[in-house]
Amino acid sequence: MKAFTALVHRELIEHRGAFLIGPLLLVAVLFGATILAFTVGRVDARFSGAMLTVAPLRIYEMGFLGFGVGWSLYLMATLFFYAADGFAADKRNNAMLFWKSMPVGDFKVLLSKLTAAITLLPGTVYAVALLSGLLLYGVAYVTMLISGTGTVAALGGIAMVYLHVALAILVSFAVGLLWYLPYMALVGGLATAMGRWAIPVALVLPALVSTLEWVTLGGLHPFATRTWDYLSYRSTFPLMEDGYVDAWFVGTEPFNAVAYATDLVSLVDWTQVGIGVVFSLVAIYLGSEYRRRSNDN
Amino acid sequence: MTELSSAPLETIEPIVSARGLRKSFGRKEILHGLDFDIPAGRIYGLIGHNGAGKTTTLNAMLGLTNCEGTIRVLGEDPFARRAKLMENVAFISDVASLPRFLRVRELFALLTNIHPNFSQEKARSFLEGTDIKPEMKIKHLSKGMIAQLHLAVVMAIDAKLLVLDEPTLGLDITYRKRFYRRLLEDYMTEERTLLITTHQVDEIEFMLSDIMFIRDGELILHMQMETVNDKFTQLVVNDPEQQAAARQHGPVYEETRFGQTVMIFDGVERDLLEPYGKLSTPTLSDLFVALMQRPTANPETAQ
Repeated sequence: MKAFTALVHRELIEHRGAFLIGPLLLVAVLFGATILAFTVGRVDARFSGAMLTVAPLRIYEMGFLGFGVGWSLYLMATLFFYAADGFAADKRNNAMLFWKSMPVGDFKVLLSKLTAAITLLPGTVYAVALLSGLLLYGVAYVTMLISGTGTVAALGGIAMVYLHVALAILVSFAVGLLWYLPYMALVGGLATAMGRWAIPVALVLPALVSTLEWVTLGGLHPFATRTWDYLSYRSTFPLMEDGYVDAWFVGTEPFNAVAYATDLVSLVDWTQVGIGVVFSLVAIYLGSEYRRRSNDN
Repeated sequence: MTELSSAPLETIEPIVSARGLRKSFGRKEILHGLDFDIPAGRIYGLIGHNGAGKTTTLNAMLGLTNCEGTIRVLGEDPFARRAKLMENVAFISDVASLPRFLRVRELFALLTNIHPNFSQEKARSFLEGTDIKPEMKIKHLSKGMIAQLHLAVVMAIDAKLLVLDEPTLGLDITYRKRFYRRLLEDYMTEERTLLITTHQVDEIEFMLSDIMFIRDGELILHMQMETVNDKFTQLVVNDPEQQAAARQHGPVYEETRFGQTVMIFDGVERDLLEPYGKLSTPTLSDLFVALMQRPTANPETAQ
């Protein structure tokens, strides 16, 4: 277990640019731009502070939730590229020979990469997301203070909003990672054999399989097949219309992370998640067998 | 040609044992059924031309490639049990194979957790007196420094077998000499076995206890160095009549260097050759050139 944990940690060291330094720079740039905007008068602190008095908590909620959506998109994109790059990264600079001189099997190495992709790496982005929320709230509260509308009493409500939204982002990350796990494993398994070419291949593969089904089993056209329908369903994040988010958006109740999480978890097809986990393990195993047998060092 | 005759060695289980080792890439067979044993506590040199099958043989030993025939390293099938085997086997297959994204201290911390037989203290002590510092990133080190670091890493692993495949390729002479001196002084013990391949055979000759010459996927010489010294004789002869007389003893190799004729003999008594000219023991590189150019260096298979 110690070796496995160390291998997961090395993924963060190797990819800290994408999962830690990049997001921190992004936050720094956004924060700097916000400060600059106030400094040069592009945004009036008194005006924006007064705006926060209209529906203060709602603006805090929506602002941080908006950040959460942004960070989720960032995470999806970086994890996709991580799977394509990270699973083949050991070949870089001939380092595969070094890793193969270690007493660790190929399956364990690839599993550590997949584990990093659903734990430590998104965990780092999540930590930065929390920081970005904190800075957002800091700026918003300071503008309230400047306009004379900020009170110490309001701080308690703001802290509760922060906790609820932070929990909602955490649950969304966790569900999203589990839901999209087989896609990451597929790209990772392909990348073990073909490196970054796994990106275009992974994009073309669904259309190819769907076309094969259309050719062999028939159908209206290549994108009206069971395969395509299934992949479309499996690619959609399990948030239904008329769910909690929609109800909260049009209502006046404060955002409740527990209600959101309950709604989200109930919408997830856990059988599909289980199938996805099995598929992921098979994809990783096949990738590890290729890696074990390949002379492509 | 195998003359491993020391009785005690035969009774101890060899570190490496290969029987009928074959490897093909496509239709081309690279290894043609190698048979050999490597006993514990020896320093082996595996010498051969580019493409002779050295690295493929090493890869078979290290579980990096699957071969026909049987190969056992420390009693294990290396391809099936590579991860387990690597607890007791260390290797450097390329001088620049350390992961470059790590800092030196990160590498040591990682190895401490991954490798049960790695000692961070030892690795740090091996780096004392060098320019390599814990905070340095590996990608910023020179090639020579990376070689020093990699050597420190493998020497800090308490392994029974150390395999070095061209470990000093591309390094200057100072680094190369320091590399081998360090290895010999700080690492080698009677319990450890070292296997080296290199093209700079003269630089490792002093430390070898045994050599294996491989040519076109076959072992053409597998011998202890003491036996090599006894068995092969180099004769430098100038007089044409003496040359003709010497040729009657069947030199395995003959060439003219700077106007002098040099002959190498296999298994000919030195007393018989002494009258013809100046005798000496051929260097490994001379012997390598001689045996590699023979059409049939050794009809019998090395064992």
